[in-house]
Amino acid sequence: MSTILELRGVTKQYRGVAAITNIDFALWTGEVHAIVGENGAGKSTLTKIMAGVTTPSGGEVLFDGKPVAFATPRDALHAGVAMVFQENSLVPSMTVAQNVFLGDEKFFNRMRGVYIAAQQLMGSLNFGVDPWATVATLGAAKKQMVEIARAVRQQARVIIFDEPTASLTPEEIQLFFALIDRLKRRGVSIIFISHAIEEALRIADRITVMRDGAVITCEESVKLDRESIIRAMVGRNLSTALYSKEAASARRVGPQILSVQDLSMGNIVRNNSFSIYGGQITGMFGLIGSGRTETAKIIAGVLKRRFFHGGEVLYEGRSVRYGIPRRAIQDGIVYVTEDRKLEGFFGAMSIAENLQVARLAANRPVLFVPMNAAKDLARQWIEQLQIRAINGDAHVTELSGGNQQKVVIARSLVQRPKLVIFDEPTRGVDVGDIAEIHALIRRLADEGLGILLISSYLPEVLNLSDRILVSQRGRIVEEFSAADADEESIMYAAVH
Amino acid sequence: MSALSRFIDHFRGSGDYSVSVPPFDGALRPNERLETALAIVHAPEPDNLVTLADGVVFSSADSLFRIDFGSPAGSHTPAVPLHRLPSTVTALASRDETLAIGLEKGGVVILGGHHDGMIISALDGIAINCPTALAFQDADALLIANGSASHPPSRWKSDLLDGGASGTVSRIDLATRRSTRLAANLAFPLGLLPLGDGGLLVSESWRHRLVRIDVSGQISRVLENLPAYPGRLAPCREGGAWLALFAPRRRLVEFVLREPAYRQRMMREIPSEYWVAPTLRPMMSFLEPLQGGMLKQLARLKPWAPSRSYGLVVRLDANFLPVESLHSRADGCRHGVRSVLEVSAGLLAASVGADAVVLVPPPREH
Repeated sequence: MSTILELRGVTKQYRGVAAITNIDFALWTGEVHAIVGENGAGKSTLTKIMAGVTTPSGGEVLFDGKPVAFATPRDALHAGVAMVFQENSLVPSMTVAQNVFLGDEKFFNRMRGVYIAAQQLMGSLNFGVDPWATVATLGAAKKQMVEIARAVRQQARVIIFDEPTASLTPEEIQLFFALIDRLKRRGVSIIFISHAIEEALRIADRITVMRDGAVITCEESVKLDRESIIRAMVGRNLSTALYSKEAASARRVGPQILSVQDLSMGNIVRNNSFSIYGGQITGMFGLIGSGRTETAKIIAGVLKRRFFHGGEVLYEGRSVRYGIPRRAIQDGIVYVTEDRKLEGFFGAMSIAENLQVARLAANRPVLFVPMNAAKDLARQWIEQLQIRAINGDAHVTELSGGNQQKVVIARSLVQRPKLVIFDEPTRGVDVGDIAEIHALIRRLADEGLGILLISSYLPEVLNLSDRILVSQRGRIVEEFSAADADEESIMYAAVH
Repeated sequence: MSALSRFIDHFRGSGDYSVSVPPFDGALRPNERLETALAIVHAPEPDNLVTLADGVVFSSADSLFRIDFGSPAGSHTPAVPLHRLPSTVTALASRDETLAIGLEKGGVVILGGHHDGMIISALDGIAINCPTALAFQDADALLIANGSASHPPSRWKSDLLDGGASGTVSRIDLATRRSTRLAANLAFPLGLLPLGDGGLLVSESWRHRLVRIDVSGQISRVLENLPAYPGRLAPCREGGAWLALFAPRRRLVEFVLREPAYRQRMMREIPSEYWVAPTLRPMMSFLEPLQGGMLKQLARLKPWAPSRSYGLVVRLDANFLPVESLHSRADGCRHGVRSVLEVSAGLLAASVGADAVVLVPPPREH
């Protein structure tokens, strides 16, 4: 098997701090190579060097056996290395065809020709995407297809996918895997970065595990299993601790904190009724589109219920209807969003500023905020939630996904809530941070807080929840106790 | 401002005008434990389960019966007639050999003990016209709940639809006949449970809640927002209490309760058994199309159908929070359980809907 892309002794330092050290890596022609590792392990840095997004501090990169120095992504693309980022780089207001040919337009561009070429390209890849469609109207999977089509059009021989399945539904993931298979058959080499170990095991030919900026192991996927990968990733055996049944059972149920009665909003939430109790983790499982997030957002005042006969939300025995989240926060209801980058924090602010702003929402407005107080607050929460950051002045965008999520959670906890709604709390978070976030959720329930845990990952719901509600088509259709729930019956209730 | 917000709420169907009911979830998650329990005694409309020195007593219409647990295992448990009263028995309390009996025609009669034959027909000059619950606080102190000032116990639906909140709870010293009013303006108090600290737990049916009246007369809410109408309370051996909830709250009934013109006309023109109101037994009549509604499929009523009757018993822990429940759902018949009593063999529940007293074994044996 010939090697198409090779890294020899590559090192990258940011402000004197090594992100990756002395990495040797080889990508074979026509293989699917998964790179897994905790957040901060150096996966992104490694692939950014391959794609010309950043330049190495030391070592050499070889493409087709020849040393190369990609100064920009365009250099890499011309050589045949394309990268599909987690946050797609498409222009939402443009059509699919315009996006595919973006940056490569001729001086006198004949739009008809562009559309025909785009249609031919989509057809050759067997993608059911309309070239005339505006990108903003497409789902996550189709946007991914457009990104891939763009890479293929540029004759990419190596395509790097960064967390491609994070925002896809199970059906879309199947489509994506079929696509990877087709690209592989065309001789394209693929690098696949993922937190989902099962996915890596399923589609990759080889798997490289990284930890602390170094390659720990690189093996054929058939020789690895979930446990050995996790052990290599975190340096200890986490899998049993992560999804063990320790949790719940012994927890004493508190009073009813929230009673949702016949809540309605359009066709998404329909007569939804359930209760949340203090000192208990109530898991909510459902397929994407089952109205879980919308229900949570109505409770937290982010969305509004139907104007007429929209149902009732009783919080601590009184009827509440929040027009804005601030009112809910002041009452003690916080919502930890599933989309942390869009709704969870202010990217341009430091951790301290983010926490301070969150605390302001829970209190009366003040004219001046002493920065020392903000820094003390950040220090306290960085320590409490073990957020891996240099200090409170670090920008949240500089942190890894798991640590960003901890900041989002800390932003909610500084508001001293009585009810915390976690919406996909471990999405895009690595295994080490997942264990810490799970421990935190359990600790909050032990302290008597009401917890609503919305998750699409069944093992997480099963092992964290004291009771499990199943949502389908905008309403709760089934309830299971922790003792009598199993994956099969929950999934059956969610689908039928 | 509040008038304006009430108007807006009425317009939008929110706040007090929201036609919604709490779900049966958490500790109230539906099951079949009441429906599958063993019926040990059959009698028309059994109610008021209490213990006497020689066994368990219950009422059925105008008679009192004793349940004979001494019969050989496997044989039918007979109900032995004890007393016959001049009218239907609506409330019952016991202490040692003494029985306090509330009657449909009004008043309370004492049978047995030091005060045998005593009749209490009024408290502080106000007639006891609706004795709904009785409890002995000690040998001489009897607690009396008068459910409504305007309706007898059998017309409880009228009291609900009239928005009744004229119930009282009083204590009478049987030795001196002096009475003290502990609480007034209660919405149909149907359950009384004296607490160890001298306080008292009261179920207010129409407000779907339990309140506590402490020694100083202070009233505090203990458990609110119940999805069904609470009935009688009984002590639980593990601490806490058993609560019988005799009918479910339904959105249709809640809607009718907010529409006075419709309600008054319905009460005027339609026989009470067909009112849009809770009932104690499943009627299954073609004259009552909304009983099963659309949820009747292939001639079978679905368990989750919004029926007007239901069977529900809840165990409350020492803090009076629900911890477990026993159900007879829409497709069952053990509905209208107003009275429960824990005995060594399990939990006895008197179901009006099934005309039976059923025995639910303890959970570990279930």
